[in-house]
Amino acid sequence: MNTNQKIQTMLSTTLMAAVLSFGLTHTAHAAKWDAKMTPAEVEATLDKKFAEGKYSPKGADTCLMCHRKTEHVMDIFEGVHGAVDSSKSPMAGLQCEACHGPLGNHNRGGNEPMITFGKGSTLSAQKQNSVCLSCHKDDKRMNWDGSHHDNADVACASCHTIHAAKDPVLSKATEVEVCTSCHTKQKADMNKRSAHPLKWNQMTCTDCHNPHGTSTESDLVKPSINETCYSCHAEKRGPKLWEHAPVTENCVTCHNPHGSVNEAMLKARAPQLCQQCHASDGHTSNAYLGNTGLGSTVNGSAFTGGRSCLNCHSQVHGSNNPSGKLLQR
Amino acid sequence: MKFNINLITIALLANAGAAMAADGYGIADANTGSINMKNWKCSACKIETGASGQVGVGVGYNDSDDIHSANALAAENDVVGKVDADIRYRGKDGYQAEIKATNLGMENGRAEITSGKIGKYKVSANYRQIATYSSETALTPYSGIGTDYLSLPSNWVTAGASDSMTALPSSLSPFELSLKRKRYGLGFEYQADQLWSTFVHYQREDKSGVKTTSGTIFNQSAMLPEPVDYSTDTVEAGIKLKGDHWFTALTYNGSFFRNDDQSLGFDSAYTPTFGGATAGYKSLDPDNNAHTVSLSGQYSADGSVVSGRLMMGRMTQDQDFVTSGYNYALPETNLDAEVDITGMDIRAVKRISNDLRISGSYNYYDRDNQTDVYEWTQISVNNVTGNAVYNTPYDSTVQKGKLAADYRIISGVKLTGGYDYRRDERNYSDREVTDENSVWARLAVSALEHWNMSLKGSYGKRDGSDYEASQWTSSETNPLLRKYYLANRDRKMVEARVTHSPLDNLTIDFGGRYALDDYSDTVIGLTESREVSYDASVNYQILEDLNLNLFYNHQTIKNEQAGAANFSTVATWFANTEDKVDVVGAGVYYDNLLEKKLRLGLDYTYSKSDSTTKVRQGVTGDYGDYFAKEQDVNAYAQYQATEKVALRLDYKMVKYEDNDAANDLAVDGIWNLISFGDLSHDYTAHLVMLSVNYKL
Repeated sequence: MNTNQKIQTMLSTTLMAAVLSFGLTHTAHAAKWDAKMTPAEVEATLDKKFAEGKYSPKGADTCLMCHRKTEHVMDIFEGVHGAVDSSKSPMAGLQCEACHGPLGNHNRGGNEPMITFGKGSTLSAQKQNSVCLSCHKDDKRMNWDGSHHDNADVACASCHTIHAAKDPVLSKATEVEVCTSCHTKQKADMNKRSAHPLKWNQMTCTDCHNPHGTSTESDLVKPSINETCYSCHAEKRGPKLWEHAPVTENCVTCHNPHGSVNEAMLKARAPQLCQQCHASDGHTSNAYLGNTGLGSTVNGSAFTGGRSCLNCHSQVHGSNNPSGKLLQR
Repeated sequence: MKFNINLITIALLANAGAAMAADGYGIADANTGSINMKNWKCSACKIETGASGQVGVGVGYNDSDDIHSANALAAENDVVGKVDADIRYRGKDGYQAEIKATNLGMENGRAEITSGKIGKYKVSANYRQIATYSSETALTPYSGIGTDYLSLPSNWVTAGASDSMTALPSSLSPFELSLKRKRYGLGFEYQADQLWSTFVHYQREDKSGVKTTSGTIFNQSAMLPEPVDYSTDTVEAGIKLKGDHWFTALTYNGSFFRNDDQSLGFDSAYTPTFGGATAGYKSLDPDNNAHTVSLSGQYSADGSVVSGRLMMGRMTQDQDFVTSGYNYALPETNLDAEVDITGMDIRAVKRISNDLRISGSYNYYDRDNQTDVYEWTQISVNNVTGNAVYNTPYDSTVQKGKLAADYRIISGVKLTGGYDYRRDERNYSDREVTDENSVWARLAVSALEHWNMSLKGSYGKRDGSDYEASQWTSSETNPLLRKYYLANRDRKMVEARVTHSPLDNLTIDFGGRYALDDYSDTVIGLTESREVSYDASVNYQILEDLNLNLFYNHQTIKNEQAGAANFSTVATWFANTEDKVDVVGAGVYYDNLLEKKLRLGLDYTYSKSDSTTKVRQGVTGDYGDYFAKEQDVNAYAQYQATEKVALRLDYKMVKYEDNDAANDLAVDGIWNLISFGDLSHDYTAHLVMLSVNYKL
């Protein structure tokens, strides 16, 4: 699959993700049983079947007798989930029924529901995800329950494809496009004057965020906002002799990491940004009017022109100079 | 084909019995009591061994007269080449290897090689480059760019004002402001047959280039090219254990930052003033180390999930101080700085029924700066510094509590809501404690056919301990000032999103957001920040092979702030900023043309960032134009020449223009500043690339 095909697949997948994220329960009628049963009836039937545990007599062969011609079914054997030669693979265990649940009487005409995933499944995202999460337990997914995507009823299969040689969402070339198909504000942000280089896929969303949830705000990958920033900007970590309190406390006090109309992803430009916190007696309290038509120009004074406050106080991220109290050296 | 019953299944068979679906359909809850696997087969299971995938090479011509275009086109030179690869080898017994490369050879290239046995072990090596370009026309009279000392020409004549420096015009030469990161990584992962797994990842990042800083002596300044020659080593290692309903991990993270340049010295271009200094010295970012150890775990049963993490961290820095230009006694040769981090998170989620779930969490994060406090004499050439001051190592503690519930009112209508609490405590601050209480709710409706809607709103109120001007921050601050990150704040937000699919092949999505931060008790400082944004997108699958998508987004952010000159007890001046962003995108592709061999596509993006600043104090002044406009085009044609060989032609264009009236200035345009000159951009760049892909 080339990049464009991947993008195409991704777009359709993510549109579906957008739809599923609102808890789709009515609009898709992909399965045979959906024409006759309500989603609640399907779920009740699946609960009952799962508890009864009537598995097939011949495992995968039972299923593939009918489903081998179904689109993408056999693609499972191209990926890790179909790796019969790995003891960790579902295909080496309960095979198809490890994920799709016990066969029951489904083979009698296909009218009895099976557990289905992704587009067309009327099953709640939580029930779908319970299958995946029962094996995929680790520190990168342990905060899934109650996470943003979980709350928005995003199913694992909304983003991931396992009946394939490769899961396209794991491709760095398409990841940003997938995320921004729902996160439209961030899509606009990365097109602003200054932004982290996500627009060109030099960075991707998962460099900073874990879509499966974390205990840090905004599902950041590190234990705090600043530690997430330090993972690429280690030079700002210090600890330095002269710390700039709001910098030490929280990088997003001044920056919007998704992008800004201002250079350096700043929420506002100097001197206004600095004057939102500095009003000492002297030059920090003065109004800097810029272009007034009365002789004053924005590029005619070091208080507004060039780097503004940073013309002198260039060490805004802290200084380790013995004489650096004013963040100049 | 031979297959093995895996260990989980064996365990299940041994413990077979009645199971409930309370937690869903997890494999550990499967009722395998009546299973008979004697006749289980997977004769249809087919694992193809051998290599598959594709490899491609591309060569292109880049037409650009501004290095800034390399941000978009990832090309510095006229002729560029790249290698793409997506190759997978599948052997017997679960062995596999992969080679992936994207744009390798270009400035945003990356590659990864992995090898191992599925579900058993994996070794990997990877490479990645991130490059950002500011300008290649920055001007400076200094030589020695990239080193730790910047020299002026021998014929330099100092002056009190930059436009009187007679040697300045003839000394200027352009240099490039850009930064490049190269990352090299190695990884190893191993999974035991059951219970445990382990991993170790190592990464070296070399970052090099030149960035902007400023060198100041008293009130005279020069923009300076700061050398960037960093290397950062990162190590992550851990061991994980898991069972049917539990998981735990012990992990270590280490980060080791090294800077080849610890100081930046510069000849002073100005006539010496206080102290007669003819050179200045800055400390650059010191070497530092950070370590984190965390223990995390999760337990789930009967519709409940409890997870938590304990974390200990330490950040240290003991780089020797820069003493050039500093003629006072130092209390220590280095700071021997140490910050200890302690973190704890716990979260519980309980599913009461299929329709109702509740969750709660508590998060504690403490930064304890153990660095000793000493007295530091400040250089007196700067007439606004005191003689001796003490360092103020900041401590802070953040505690967060959250309660949330989600309730499915009826099928297709879900209400989610919660309460969040946050307390920040810090020392050496104008306000030592801030408390924020927030409530939020979200209603999602998908009960109507072809429509999905959601509405979210939140309200938060921040207050805290008495706000007092801290002697540590400044004893001279106007008492009416309320720093915005400490100030009382009412925060309101509402957002709505609607997705409509009138046809199977047409989806229309639109949303809007309004947010208001009202610093209700602030007289001086930021008083209000208001944001409005809306967006719309359409995806239309016109024909089976013809797709069209459109996207539009608009955002306006308005800030209001007030100031008071001369320590006035009322605000005497006001500043308003208004930031506007418009982004328009369109994409179309037509597939399977010419007997299903040709695909044509076009992607287009237009973005405009615009900001206005107005300050009034009797008269109203403005900060002039401040905008960036960018158009990007990528048109491509891909032709499947043979079953194995595909040709692709890409045409990329970027048209970019930006301006900053505050930086639209000559090198000597401000008397006490030597600037880099006008750094604005206005260019159109093109890249044509032909690539050949071969399918294995």
